[in-house]
Amino acid sequence: MAIFRYPNWRWPDVPGALEDFERARRQMDRLLSAFTGGSESVASSGVFPPLIVSEDEDKIYVEAEISGIKAEDLDISIVGRTLTISGERKPEEAQNVNYHRRERKWGSFRKALTLPEDVDTEAVRAECKNGVLRLVLPKPEQVKPRKITINGQ
Amino acid sequence: MADDLQIEEKKAVQATGESTRDIPVFVPAVDIYESENALTILADMPGVPIEKIDIDLDSDQLTIRGTVDQEEVKGKVIFKEFTYGDYYRQFSLSSDIDRAKIQASTKDGVLKLVLPKAEAAKPRKITVQST
Repeated sequence: MAIFRYPNWRWPDVPGALEDFERARRQMDRLLSAFTGGSESVASSGVFPPLIVSEDEDKIYVEAEISGIKAEDLDISIVGRTLTISGERKPEEAQNVNYHRRERKWGSFRKALTLPEDVDTEAVRAECKNGVLRLVLPKPEQVKPRKITINGQ
Repeated sequence: MADDLQIEEKKAVQATGESTRDIPVFVPAVDIYESENALTILADMPGVPIEKIDIDLDSDQLTIRGTVDQEEVKGKVIFKEFTYGDYYRQFSLSSDIDRAKIQASTKDGVLKLVLPKAEAAKPRKITVQST
């Protein structure tokens, strides 16, 4: 395959061009997954750690795959609706060894997420088990859906 | 300062046999290092508890299997960047391993497998004598 090089090429200075491309890419992904029968598309932001965010009537759940990270190297904070997960994945120290394979990555990370609704920051629970972080963020009373009973005559 | 971590997309196993579970199977990322006395394998298997890891050494073929212990994601999914799945990977070992002394442990979702070398496979220092 031929490789073309454009030494003087620059990204066109159009506001929002990158965002438009990103949107188009996501739409293509969604279209392709519909053809291949994938029910849920995995659209990654590329920033570690990978997350699954879900919600029900009174809670928001956030799950993250963080294998190899100790709980004390992890920092979770919520300011308003912004949830930030940051930390560092440290390499295992081994001396006088020869490496045959090094596929596991390490480094520091920081990921911010805007929650779809307000949460009760005081009541957030976090649990780390087998390299999976699980956060349960309860919604405050006023945003929970309320069932209104209609009185018939 | 270490580089910023990026998400490594999980690689699906190219199936040789069909799985009986309707769940994806991934190839765990590994580090393998060798010291004079042992071969150590570290494998990332998030979501797998130690009791659901299966290690099999058949002559020189080492197989690692991990079954993910995950109930369904609660509620309605809003955003999804990974999928839970099982793990499977095979290695061919070159040196002789002392099977009785294999140790397996997990910590924070990482399997650590220490495979001590058999006496015969340990390096022997050879003294060169000059005459």
